[in-house]
Amino acid sequence: MINRRNFLTTVAIGTASAAALAACGTGSSTTAGETGSAESPVTINYTWWGNDDRATRTRKAIELFEAKNKDIKVNGNFTDFAGYWQKRATEAAGGGLPDVMQWDLSYLRDYGQRNQLLDLSTVKINTDAFEKSLLPSGQIKGKTYGIPTSTNAFAVYYNPEKLASLGIAEPDGSWNYKEFNAFLTEVGAKGNGALFGGTDYTGVWWMFNVWLRQNNIEAFTEDGKLGFTKDDLKKWWNLNSDLRGTPALISEERATQLAPKSPFGSNVTATEVTWDNFMAGYLADSGAKELKLVPVPSDDKDNLGLFLKPSMLMVASAKTKYKDAAARFIDFMVNDPEVGQIFKTSRGVPASKTQRDGTTFEGTDKLVVDYEKSIEKYLKDAPEPPIVGFGTLEASFKRISSDLNFGKVTVDGAADAWFKEAEDLIKQNA
Amino acid sequence: MTQSPTLSRRSASPSAPAPRKSKRSGADARAGYTFLLPWLLGFIALTVGPMVSSLYLSFTNYNLFEPPKWIGLDNYTTLFQDERFLQSVGVTTSYVVFGTPLKLAAALAIAMLLNSARKGQGFYRSAFYAPSLIGASVSIAIVWKAMFGDSGPVDQGLSFFGINLGGWVGNPDMTIPMMILLTVWQFGAPMVIFLAGLKQIPADLYEAASMDGAGPIRKFLNITWPMLSPVVFFNLLMETIHAFQIFNSAYIISNGEGGPAGSTLFYTLYLYLRGFSDFRMGYASAMAWLLLIVVGIITLVIFKTSKSWVHYSGDAK
Repeated sequence: MINRRNFLTTVAIGTASAAALAACGTGSSTTAGETGSAESPVTINYTWWGNDDRATRTRKAIELFEAKNKDIKVNGNFTDFAGYWQKRATEAAGGGLPDVMQWDLSYLRDYGQRNQLLDLSTVKINTDAFEKSLLPSGQIKGKTYGIPTSTNAFAVYYNPEKLASLGIAEPDGSWNYKEFNAFLTEVGAKGNGALFGGTDYTGVWWMFNVWLRQNNIEAFTEDGKLGFTKDDLKKWWNLNSDLRGTPALISEERATQLAPKSPFGSNVTATEVTWDNFMAGYLADSGAKELKLVPVPSDDKDNLGLFLKPSMLMVASAKTKYKDAAARFIDFMVNDPEVGQIFKTSRGVPASKTQRDGTTFEGTDKLVVDYEKSIEKYLKDAPEPPIVGFGTLEASFKRISSDLNFGKVTVDGAADAWFKEAEDLIKQNA
Repeated sequence: MTQSPTLSRRSASPSAPAPRKSKRSGADARAGYTFLLPWLLGFIALTVGPMVSSLYLSFTNYNLFEPPKWIGLDNYTTLFQDERFLQSVGVTTSYVVFGTPLKLAAALAIAMLLNSARKGQGFYRSAFYAPSLIGASVSIAIVWKAMFGDSGPVDQGLSFFGINLGGWVGNPDMTIPMMILLTVWQFGAPMVIFLAGLKQIPADLYEAASMDGAGPIRKFLNITWPMLSPVVFFNLLMETIHAFQIFNSAYIISNGEGGPAGSTLFYTLYLYLRGFSDFRMGYASAMAWLLLIVVGIITLVIFKTSKSWVHYSGDAK
């Protein structure tokens, strides 16, 4: 009988056993995870990084997916790139990663090797329409942790209108580093404080990686060590040392204040060296009518060091309860032609042929596709997923080279500092 | 709600009657602990537990995903060879050393202005207190960033007077002054406590001093300061500890990176980056414990020195 004294105990036991029964229900479901129906759809969480432009496009894609899959609802969420990884780390620690996530190659090993991501070869995702050389970049030790949505390549962006207003001829991209530096200097000199040549390109890890490849050096060895020497890094940071502090490069003071917008997107620089899929973002940020792309400089005319990288990957959490729904959403995002129509080249050039062929590329999007076609003969293999902790190294590369621009360190000091951090990190994760 | 720290030690003097002992005391204690239980459980589960585990983690190499590996004192010894760590110590120290006294001085000055009986004092008190309610919020940090940016109001205002500093946000030499201004602006909490303290100083002391021909400075040094010293002591302690914990505004203003050139790399921000960007939770835990120890020592030092400058009204001197 329930009296005042044992009333609470009774309620507590009742609640606990109900929860236990519910837990049994979860445990007995199939390996596909829980599935929903049109009447009671399951909800999966999806998260991505990017600007407002990407958010609008992604929401459109999600609506389309929900219209086609009445049994699944997708709850979308986004942040900027830097905050994105701190959030994921916190979630992973608490065991609560979102079901499906947009992912970057830099962090694939960190989470894949540590069993946080679902092996996508165990679920149904169609990869027939993918270039066979591209898929390994989402694989580690025989497991598929990520499916590339699209590819991107390194390029030099420029704003033709800005160049014309200064009376500077448009570049054709057949330049070496000396010529490129001279070009930046000319823009800076004629820009008269209102327009700078560009952002310091030696602060970008992937451009350094391109330069290493131009010199036939691999950034990382097979066994996860550094493939280049401190002297290589010094040589790299010395490439434009006479440009630092001149109008050829935007000062770090200005660039810091524009963040999180890029100087190029803010119309303060005439060029930017970065991935070719930033086109849509730059157009939206800058409001420019047209932006153009040319290949990166190289001192070896036959070796531009370029490669196609998966610009982003789709991954699922290893702990997701809705494997089937997650797989269907990923399949949709990478293969569906209509998704291609929504994103155009803003994620990069679609990696799946089905999606690529189903997308019409016009105007600036066509420029991106044409650019990747134009460099086809220079392309080398996509890089493998970089070493564990690479995201940290990439961030410290940027930070230390910004210290270089602030004049806080010398090139030698900067190289020492980065190597110390890198060696420490490699030792730490060994 | 806020009661100023007592100016008198009389209440704690040994002459107070000892609590009466009765048979009911056992039952009272039980009832007391029962009422305390919800808080006690929370305290043990949410504060003591995590603290103990972070103490353990500080002796390990722990990356969140794999089980922690015991490495002894390695984290603590590598800290002192880590240039960024030393930088974060420097940044935080300069913030605490310059920011706290300035904030307290501002709070005391405003409190003295508000202590006089004038019309509308209630309104002014609320108005001056308001910044400390919203000051730690995300939106204020964003406003601060915009105000001190290139061609922001501060830059334009200073340029009007011929001072061309440019934006403070991107200038490594100006970010600490900017952060200090942000904390000084939030003087509300210590101000209210100062105000309460000022109200407890007997007016006849000032009257007597005036009769003897003491000027305002004399009155401040010989009456206000000694009478207020327990409150100054309390505020100094709280604000120093508080200043060491700065995080939110630095995180937002520097986009979570501690830039430009590491000039806003506060201790807690570096701790966070080490833990959640670099996955080095053991290292971050060691930093947290070191901070706790250092803040503890500083508190102790302030307590020790207080004997020479804090006067309680019940004391002989």
